[in-house]
Amino acid sequence: MKKLLAISLFAACAHTPPKELVDARAEYARAAAGPAAQLAPAELHVAAEQIAIAEHTYKNHPDSDDARDTAYIALRKVQRAEALGQAAAGQAAAGAASVDYTKTQGRILTEQEKALAAQRDALRQQQGALVNARSAADQARDEAERAHGEAQAERDARIAAEQKAQQAIDALAASMELKKDDRGTIITLSGGVLFVTNQATLLAGAQASLDKVVDALKAQKGHTFVVGGHTDNTGSDAINDSLSQKRAQSVRDYLVSHGVDSSLISAQGFGSRQPIADNKTVEGRAMNRRVEIIVKNNPTTAQN
Amino acid sequence: MMRAFLFGAAITVAACASTPRPEARIISSEAALRGAQEAGAGSVPAATLHLKLAQEERAIAMNQLKDGHNHRASLMLARAEADAEVAIALTRAQSAKVQAVKAQESVDELKQKEVTP
Repeated sequence: MKKLLAISLFAACAHTPPKELVDARAEYARAAAGPAAQLAPAELHVAAEQIAIAEHTYKNHPDSDDARDTAYIALRKVQRAEALGQAAAGQAAAGAASVDYTKTQGRILTEQEKALAAQRDALRQQQGALVNARSAADQARDEAERAHGEAQAERDARIAAEQKAQQAIDALAASMELKKDDRGTIITLSGGVLFVTNQATLLAGAQASLDKVVDALKAQKGHTFVVGGHTDNTGSDAINDSLSQKRAQSVRDYLVSHGVDSSLISAQGFGSRQPIADNKTVEGRAMNRRVEIIVKNNPTTAQN
Repeated sequence: MMRAFLFGAAITVAACASTPRPEARIISSEAALRGAQEAGAGSVPAATLHLKLAQEERAIAMNQLKDGHNHRASLMLARAEADAEVAIALTRAQSAKVQAVKAQESVDELKQKEVTP
């Protein structure tokens, strides 16, 4: 018996294991160190069991077809476990990539939302600036319109005042002589109507004429006046200058006392130096004896 | 010990003559083959090799069955089934690999967009 057993064991050891078994062992060692150990442990276990069967069969029936086939099947079970390990690894990688994708997408969305919010803020600011600009423009336009209106009203008022002043002057034309030259409007009052001969005392009858002048002058807003006294050439210049000055002053005093602003009116005697008619005739001399009230051109009116 | 060995050997020898037809193996190996084909093993080179091996092995087994070699046929059917299952596993591995590569490409592309929007 013992001898038989010894022969049997010797025979077993002498046989070379089939290539499939050698491959299965090596493949298993590799698979056990790879991802299959973690990702396909059940399949690896099945492979290990099949290797045990192959080993057993080889031990009992070396060189048999059964030993080769069971080893072949064992090799395939190991390969299957390895492949399924790889499949699981691939799926895990795809899953991780998918998670990464979602996270990245989330980050991109967040960034895009931030950018959009920034754009929205910028737009809002621009809108605010536009609204402000428009309101400023409206305000400026209103102001301009108001200024224009004021200017227009001022101009209208001035024109109306000018018209009124002119009307007041024109009203004098019925009872006294008016003329215009570059100094302004000249109201001429005959000396014979105003004064006692060779005196500066106003006649009672002069007051009616002078009252009309007062009314006219009061209407001349912004104008200044010069009362000029004139004589004919009878007598000396000294006398005529003095008389003309006194008469001018007398008229000025009357006008001021009846309400013409004293700061706007001056008096000046010109003697016989500014005749307006021939001193050789009685009529001419009568015309030269006169008082002229010059309503000076309003500087601003003259500019316009 | 010796007796057990002799007993085992006697069983093995006896099996050659009296092993019943491996009906379960016939069905399960065919199912595995069909599964491999449906999984698309025909379009994955590494898997195609095992699919062909499985088909050949099954053909051999069917002949062995005709000749009454039920024990040999049973092992050959087991080989066919094992090859078909390897084909399925390789197909799945390939598919998962492609999927992982695509997913990674998508992520890379997206990250490129993130860097340069």
